[in-house]
Parts: sequence; structure tokens; C-alpha cells
Amino acid sequence: MTSDVAHVLTPPAGAGAPSRDTWRAIAAWALAAAVFVVAHGVDTQFSRFWGFGLAFGFVLQRGRFCFASAFRDLFLLGHGRTMKGVLLGLAIASVGFGVVMARQMPITSIGFNPPTANILPVGVHTILGGVLFGVGMVLAGGCASGSIYRMGEGYVASWVAFAGLMGGLLVSAYTWNWWWMGTISVAPRVWLPRPFGHVGALGLTLLALGAAFVWVLWLERRAGMVLPDSPSPKEASESVADDLRAIGRRVFVRGWPVLIAGAVLGGLNVLLFAAQEPWGFTGEVARWSAGLAGLVGTAPPPPAGADTLPGCVMVPLDGSILNHMTFMVGGMWFGAFAGALGAGEFKLRIARQPVRYAQSLGGGVLMGYGAGIATGCTIGAFFSAIPSLAINGWVFAVFLGVGAWIGTQMIRRIA
Amino acid sequence: MGSKMSQKLDVRGEICPYPMMRTVSMLKKLSAEERTLEVLTDHAPTLDTIPTQAARLGFETAVEEVGGSEWRLTLTRIGSGDGA
Repeated sequence: MTSDVAHVLTPPAGAGAPSRDTWRAIAAWALAAAVFVVAHGVDTQFSRFWGFGLAFGFVLQRGRFCFASAFRDLFLLGHGRTMKGVLLGLAIASVGFGVVMARQMPITSIGFNPPTANILPVGVHTILGGVLFGVGMVLAGGCASGSIYRMGEGYVASWVAFAGLMGGLLVSAYTWNWWWMGTISVAPRVWLPRPFGHVGALGLTLLALGAAFVWVLWLERRAGMVLPDSPSPKEASESVADDLRAIGRRVFVRGWPVLIAGAVLGGLNVLLFAAQEPWGFTGEVARWSAGLAGLVGTAPPPPAGADTLPGCVMVPLDGSILNHMTFMVGGMWFGAFAGALGAGEFKLRIARQPVRYAQSLGGGVLMGYGAGIATGCTIGAFFSAIPSLAINGWVFAVFLGVGAWIGTQMIRRIA
Repeated sequence: MGSKMSQKLDVRGEICPYPMMRTVSMLKKLSAEERTLEVLTDHAPTLDTIPTQAARLGFETAVEEVGGSEWRLTLTRIGSGDGA
């Protein structure tokens, strides 16, 4: 009992035969593969985004990669573990995006931006959107992508947060044209390679990420003792089959180190950007909200200027139900669900205090409105925007931090 | 009861980060005679956050999986128990 090892993991029951969890996960992945094949027959974009969605959801779940906790735990605990994973993912994606954009736009002095990169108008809407989103994600206990992967894990409150997110996106859609006219349409879109060149912009971005890393170390130091990650338990291995089983458990059963999850998410984002566009999805969720509102005759007006913006701007309704992004959001949810099944981590979790549902709903609405006016969440306006070497990603990030700090003060008072 | 007094806390179903926050506030309220706190949780991220926060308050953590995605964390006061 005096051991200083924090984790005493019990060995998996019946290490020889596949467990019930394994069979359930295999069934889930088989279903995912079947959807891929059918979708591929309809439209190759559908299957591509289904595949990427599955991968993103799986990695989010395995790494417990939660952007809300990345920001919140800096203030709540003086812990930067998750934020370090986010910074690593950003650094990797920045290099990858930088290379892709340098090929798309070798000469930066002409007045065009890479068309699909998340170089968004930066202004007061970016600031307000960041603060609202930051408060909302801490209140709700997860950001937009965090809520999706926790929905897959069986957290009922995350479904409520997602409903709130849809509501907030709808409200922002009603006010979009006002924001567009006064603010967004006249706000500058600043792509760093224009003034600094490709290499200079990437260098500056990596330098700023390095500075953020030093700041995280400083916060940790200031908060006192920092324990190292607990070592993963060694398992006896006597054959290649044992080794393979150990690798399988590391990928599918045990949680991934957050640095690995961040690196993989950054790499996947580069692949998706090289194939088509950066990772993002709140524009699609906004389309669902608008579609549902349309069923009761209260559809928001068509968003002005949407066709001139990259990123997660609301997709105008065109009467179709399926869109390639539908497969992205569905894939993220299903990938997290399958990942949780395989790890034995799926469980219906029902919060007992009614206030948690109010927090989740309210936090979701704040996130939705924030993501609506900033045209993106912690993914589109942050995790895909900083690698786009665009200034809007940094402005959004700073005010996400401000919002997360405010949110942290609030949850301390909500017992 | 055994030789040492203990307390229990059930935070199953709670959303992030309340399992950790409620554990920390309970640890702070334990009287000097109470040596252990048993926390029942189904929130996997707490397997990282609770041991770290408990150590700051002078407790060590043993984690035991007690079923499908449920863990029992036994937090035991180290030595004189005056950490913080």
C-alpha cells in the first residue's frame, strides 16, 4: 500500500479470449465499414468525410482530447497536460498547412488567400465569439467536439449540451445578417504569409506556439508540484501474439497519452486540408438547426456573404438532407462511440443534479452563439485557423482563454 | 469498522470536472482521524486528475476497476497527513 505508483490497474479479465467489449466494438466497426461502402457508392466525398469523422472521433475519445479542459485546467488546477497536446497538434498542423498553402499559393504578394484555409475576418465578433464559446464550453463540461465524443461515450448531459449548441447556432443565424452588415463584411482577413512570406509566417507561428508552451510551463510551476504522468504498467509477454495483444490494448483499450492524440489530430487535419478543406463542423450543425426551424416555418434568413467565407460559416439550406459534412459529424460521434465500446468505456451516464442539465444547455447555447458569429468552434476557428497562418485563430484563442477563465470562476460557485 | 475511519463519495454520472472538484472539496473537509476516502466514479479523465490533486493534499491513490467503466479510487492520507 505504500507504493508511489498512482495507478494500480487490474489486468483485463480473461486476457486470452476476446471480451464482450471487443465483440461489440468489432460489430460497431463493421457497421461503420458498411456505411463507408454504401456512402462511397453514392458520393466519394461522403465516404471520405465519414472516414475522417470516424478517425477524429476515435482519436478524441482515446486521447480524452478535450479542448475545454485544455483551457480550463490551466486556471482550475494549474495543469497544462492537455494544452501541451493541443500545442503539439497545432505545431504539426501549422507545418503541414504551411507546406500545402505554399504549394497552392507560391507567390503571396498577389491579393488572394488560399481559398479553403480558415483565414477569417477578424474583429469584435471574433472577440465576443471567443469569450462566449470559452464560458460555454467550461459551463457545459466540454466544447463542441468534446460534447460529440462524450455523446458517443454515453454522457446524457452532453446530448443536452449539443441541443443547446444547435439552439445557440440558430439564434446566431437570426442575427447573422446584422453582424455581416456592420462588422464581419468589413473586417480584415489577415494571412500572415502576405507580409512575412511562407517561411517567416510559419516561423512566427511556431515561435508563438513555443511562447505559449513556456507560459503553460510557468502556470504549472506557479501552481506548485506537478506529478509526472503515471507509468504504463508492464505486461508479461512471452510471444509475438502477446506483443500484438499488448499493442492492441494500447490502441483500443487504454487511454492514449494526450501528446500522441494531439499529434495524430494535427496530422489528420493536414491530410484533410490537403485533400479538401480543414477540419470543422459547426457550419453543418447550424444547417441542421436551420432545417429543423424550417420545419415549423421559422427558418432563419439566408446568411449574407456565406459563400465568400471559408471556415464553419452556416451552410445555406438547399433542400437536401445529406451533405458531406453530415458524414463528418456523424462519423465523429460514431468513431467515439466505437472507441468507447472497444475500451469498455461506454456507459449511460446520467447526472443526478438537475443543475448539470441547466449548465449543459446554457453552456451549449453560449457556445452555439459564439461559434456562429466567430464562424467556428475550438476546431474551425482555432485548431484549423492557427495552422492556416491566420491572425483570427490567435485572437479567437486569446479570448477563448478569457472566456474559459470566467467559466472557471463560475463553475467553482456552482456546486 | 476497521482500525481507520473512512468516508465514501459517489460521483457517478457527474459531468467534467465535478468528480475531481467534489473529491478535492471532500478531502479538504476530512477530519484528522479520517484516513481514507473512497471515491466511486465512471468518469475516466479523473483517473489522471484525482491522483494529482490528492497528492497535493497529501493523499496517495489506488485505482481499482470495479466493472464496466467504473472505478473505485481509494485515497489514503500519507504519513502525518499534512500536505497541502
